[in-house]
Amino acid sequence: MRNLIYLSVVFPLIGFLVNGLLGRKFKSEKVVGIIGSGAVGAAFLVVLAAFVETLRMPEEGRALIVTLFQWVKAGNLDVSIAYQIDQLSLVMGLVVTGVGFLIHIYSIGYMHGDKGFWRFFTYLNLFIFAMMNLVLADNFLLMFLGWEGVGLCSYLLIGFWYDRKFEKSTTSDAAKKAFVVNRIGDFGFLIGMFLIYLNFGSLNFTTVFAKAGVGNIPESTFTLIALCLFIGAAGKSAQIPLFVWLPDAMAGPTPVSALIHAATMVTAGVYLVARCSIIYASAPMALTVVAVIGLATAFFAATVGLVQTDIKKVLAYSTVSQLGYMFLAMGMGAFSAGIFHVVTHAFFKALLFLGAGSVIHGMHDEQDIRKYGNLKKYMPKTAKTFLIAAIAISGIPPFAGFFSKDEILWEAFSVGGFGFWIFGVITALFTAFYMFRLYFLTFEGKERFDSHHVHPHESPAVMTIPLMILAFLSIVGGFLGMPAIFVGEEGNLFGRWLAPIFKSAETKIFTGAEHSHLMEILLMAISVAGAALAIYFAKFVYLHKPEIAEKVSAKLKPIYTTLLNKYYVDEIYDAVVVNPIRLVSESFLWKITDVKLIDGLLNKSAALVDYLSGYIRKIQTGAVQFYAIIMMTGILAALFWIIKSL
Amino acid sequence: MEMKDLFYAMPLLIVGGGILLILLIDMFFKGGKKIIPALTFFILLGTAYYSLFTINQLPIGLMPVSEFGLFYGMLSFGGKAHLFYFLFNFGSAIAVLIANDYLKKIETEYSEYYILLLSSVLGMMLIAGSRNLVMIFIGLEQMSISFYALAGYRRKNILSNEAALKYFLLGSFATGFLIYGMAFIFGTAQSMMLIDIFSQTSVLVKNPLFMIGILLFLIGFTFKIAAVPFHMWAPDVYEGSPTSVTALMATVGKAAAFSAILLIFVSVAKMGPNSVFSSMFSVVAVLSMLYGSIAAIAQKDIKRMLAYSSIAHAGYMTIGLAAVNPSGIAGIIFYLVAYTFMNLGAFGIIALLESKEGKFLSIEDYKGLGTRQPFLAASLAIIMFALSGIPPFAGFFGKYYIFLAAIQSGDTWLALVGVLSSVISVYFYLRVVVYMYFSKSDDESAILEISQTGLLAVIASLVLVIAFGLAPGSLIRLISGLI
Amino acid sequence: MEVILFAVFASIAVVSSVLVVTRRNPVIAALCLILNFGSLAGMYLLLSAQFIAVVQIIVYAGAIMVLFLFVLMLLRPDMERSFFRHDPLFKWAAIIVSVFTFLLLVYAIILTTFNAPILANHAKTIEIGTVEAIGKELFSNFLLPFEAIGFVLLSATVGAMLLSKKKLD
Repeated sequence: MRNLIYLSVVFPLIGFLVNGLLGRKFKSEKVVGIIGSGAVGAAFLVVLAAFVETLRMPEEGRALIVTLFQWVKAGNLDVSIAYQIDQLSLVMGLVVTGVGFLIHIYSIGYMHGDKGFWRFFTYLNLFIFAMMNLVLADNFLLMFLGWEGVGLCSYLLIGFWYDRKFEKSTTSDAAKKAFVVNRIGDFGFLIGMFLIYLNFGSLNFTTVFAKAGVGNIPESTFTLIALCLFIGAAGKSAQIPLFVWLPDAMAGPTPVSALIHAATMVTAGVYLVARCSIIYASAPMALTVVAVIGLATAFFAATVGLVQTDIKKVLAYSTVSQLGYMFLAMGMGAFSAGIFHVVTHAFFKALLFLGAGSVIHGMHDEQDIRKYGNLKKYMPKTAKTFLIAAIAISGIPPFAGFFSKDEILWEAFSVGGFGFWIFGVITALFTAFYMFRLYFLTFEGKERFDSHHVHPHESPAVMTIPLMILAFLSIVGGFLGMPAIFVGEEGNLFGRWLAPIFKSAETKIFTGAEHSHLMEILLMAISVAGAALAIYFAKFVYLHKPEIAEKVSAKLKPIYTTLLNKYYVDEIYDAVVVNPIRLVSESFLWKITDVKLIDGLLNKSAALVDYLSGYIRKIQTGAVQFYAIIMMTGILAALFWIIKSL
Repeated sequence: MEMKDLFYAMPLLIVGGGILLILLIDMFFKGGKKIIPALTFFILLGTAYYSLFTINQLPIGLMPVSEFGLFYGMLSFGGKAHLFYFLFNFGSAIAVLIANDYLKKIETEYSEYYILLLSSVLGMMLIAGSRNLVMIFIGLEQMSISFYALAGYRRKNILSNEAALKYFLLGSFATGFLIYGMAFIFGTAQSMMLIDIFSQTSVLVKNPLFMIGILLFLIGFTFKIAAVPFHMWAPDVYEGSPTSVTALMATVGKAAAFSAILLIFVSVAKMGPNSVFSSMFSVVAVLSMLYGSIAAIAQKDIKRMLAYSSIAHAGYMTIGLAAVNPSGIAGIIFYLVAYTFMNLGAFGIIALLESKEGKFLSIEDYKGLGTRQPFLAASLAIIMFALSGIPPFAGFFGKYYIFLAAIQSGDTWLALVGVLSSVISVYFYLRVVVYMYFSKSDDESAILEISQTGLLAVIASLVLVIAFGLAPGSLIRLISGLI
Repeated sequence: MEVILFAVFASIAVVSSVLVVTRRNPVIAALCLILNFGSLAGMYLLLSAQFIAVVQIIVYAGAIMVLFLFVLMLLRPDMERSFFRHDPLFKWAAIIVSVFTFLLLVYAIILTTFNAPILANHAKTIEIGTVEAIGKELFSNFLLPFEAIGFVLLSATVGAMLLSKKKLD
């Protein structure tokens, strides 16, 4: 199956083509749904089979490149459509297709009755196709293709309900915003890619990373490349300062938020950094930048999440914050810890979004958590699975989030020092608090909706079964990466699996001072206790004494409104970037450069060509003798030329 | 001659045998007429595949025959020749699909059409595979005579008659110069065999008569590729000929002429003072590109527009000759492949839409096609994008490789003129797209019936245009390996 | 002797070919063409290509020209005038271009330094021109061109039928 890995890319493509071309003609939603989900399911099986096969092989022989055909050959540049199997790409592939498959199934229920049902599945399959290209690519160019592809799908899916209102404007505006902000990041990626080609003479991962490992290239070059790539990563993974699109991306249907804006696409940036670990390891300054931005994003987004009232907005900021964690791990040089968090986060964040989707579905598109309450009674399955996910993200052992988050925090402490750790922990406490605020407001307490008009109901099995599977994974997923102090170095299955990928990078990085086991356990205890306390506090505030929340927010009005308005970042961007640009482009670029200069020039030259064209047309008289004379003149000129030059 | 010569000349034998077979069927079996198009198609397809799979195959245990030649050194085997065989046969097979419907539509189904079509393909193969000047000439005549007759296929159509006569007159005129050139070459080199001529080239290039001979030879074929100033026939002939014939002439016919130029030019230019022919072809390239692109803008008839665009394309390919380096040659062959399938697709669509009376040929008629024939409109749009050289279609990479070759050989200015001309050409290609999608048709009632085989031809061309655009690497690698 | 004969045949050929182009009456033009063919045949003889010379007379001057004349007499010759536009400008342009081309070619020939001609054994040259020698060549070295010519003639026939036959079924 390893040699057939490309099938995992081909199947979604087939699904996309079939649904895209014929979807409109299929009368039943079932057919569309089965084709769409089946394609992704088949892809998952392919990756799974390749994974199992790889597992059985000795560690040295695990990497494999499957070349389909040569794609671009120009000068030195030689790029193939080729897919790479190694430990990292398999993990990502499993997450993308596995979680993707569950979300596809869920969507059959969620999108039931939508007029764009087939369009939805077409886009989703296209997304999986692009995403698989991104994670399986063996070179930067193919990866970039996937990168742009997922961006396109994200755009299409955010604006899926293009005729609906979203906040102050429309979903199309949200989609446009996502696309534009991503373009800024892509620009960084492109520049990084050019620099790589310039310095390494190739775009293939194997060649580039081998050359980077040998290293006769100055550190400043590495830093420049790493920072450019990080701009790309920050755009895709919603880091400061390019995170503004992700909250707005919630305009899309909820399964989209779960699949693209929580579990898979937004982690592409993390994957990019992990894939280029050797480049980052050679550029310590860039690593510090990554770590600081990651931590700042994590903390900042968590504070905003505390006060949001839209259920999806809370989850969106939580995603931004968790992505910050992943970048923190990357910045600490703990690449496998970061990827581990990608995996566990995919489980529980997808679960949270799908749970939220189930609630929204049951509450007839109501998204304000202040209008929920006591939904546990009506939708017990959703409530239970949502609770599991909330526990997991809060970092309570032995759920998945605990292990991955704790590993990151420990790395932050041992490599970055106390400062990094304490902000990490505070962020974790905030996370626990707002997650349970969300949970309690939604599922417990008094019913705050109008029970005459709204009749909450549990979602159908096609939606709840994926929830349960994800809940199961959120519980047990963490055991893959148990910390070394509990089970020894060999016990951390996940770390051991990925170790060969990051070996060369990790030898280059300062791995931090030695700390005692006691210290590690102590820190772990502090963060767990803190999280537990935060949960209790949330319960106290939102279940027992709701008036406290109001009082606090009234007392701290300036802070509260600042947070509610997301630190006014959108407004600041508007004032500082968007409006000046608009002003300049309207008054100068458009009216003078465009209208006068370019249009004028263009029109003049077009007129010239038109004039010439009409003139030439007259030459073509139709008289054969004339044609022959022209030919003879040509021959005469050529003869003259050749005799002259002899 | 030995039996193995016959075996290695298989592609020629199949097509030649096919001509005779169809002639016999036509004469003796009244009911056999219906299978003639299908038979022609499969003969061409079979030859195409045989040629494709024997490209890299050398006769077992022997030196490469192409060095040495079949039939007493008259014919080469394998390599570039077979690549061209493939192109001719496959392209013509698509042209047969186009013709099948088209002839039914204009209600003149004669089996002579298919005989002449196969004859022209045989001629092309004789040109591309030839190792002797006589063979080149015979091949050219074989192809040209078939084309002359095919151009006048619509006997009651005055335009078609005019096209045939003009093509014949000017074609004979050009052939005269070709023969004249060959006589000079023979006189100075004292041999017709290319291998003998090449072995003396380093001495002969100092002989003015030899150079004039080569020049006239090249001019004879420059006429066939319709490059300025030997292009005058092309618009009239392309417009007047039945569309299915134009599809054939404009694509594989041009490729055959290029194959002849490549036979001679590469070796001579390598050894001689290459600046002479190189600068001559630079001038031809610049004139053709600009003339073709600019004149196409004023056209109202889509076939005529494509005729001018084919002049421009001949100009782009001529850049590859002016570059005189292996990547230029590879670029030309790639461009020919791309160009052939792009134009087959375009003419295929035109043939599908054209009405019996020869209406629906004006660009204006394509208004609103996007709603009436969504598939054909989309296909035509893709082909127009490809022709104007917008990635990721085959046309882009054709231009890319050619321009790259020009830059490598130091003729950056040629590449710049090429880009300029491409920019101009975008105007008239995209005008078709604009008409199809952004204008309303005046006559919504014109519902068109689309036939099956023509559609198949369009789809086949389209798939190849897209495939070579997405994966140009494999094709260019194959070509580079043969040069 | 050879030089004198060559001069005679050559001048007849040149004059008659000019007459072919300039005569308005197509019948006279055709007759001049016969003269041209005949002088060419004479030149072939001088080159000891007897077979070609004979074929030239029989096929071209004989069969083909007779056919030409028949066709010309059956058709109305003045049709030709209406098809081609007679623009004096064309005529002058054509003359100028042709003269220049001619001069250039002459100049090129003067420029060329000819190697000593290969003075082959005269008896052997005569042998090459015989029917047997040509037959042998045709069926050995030139077998493929010979066969290919067959196909050229075949397609010319088919083409002619296609264009001219009254009724095709």
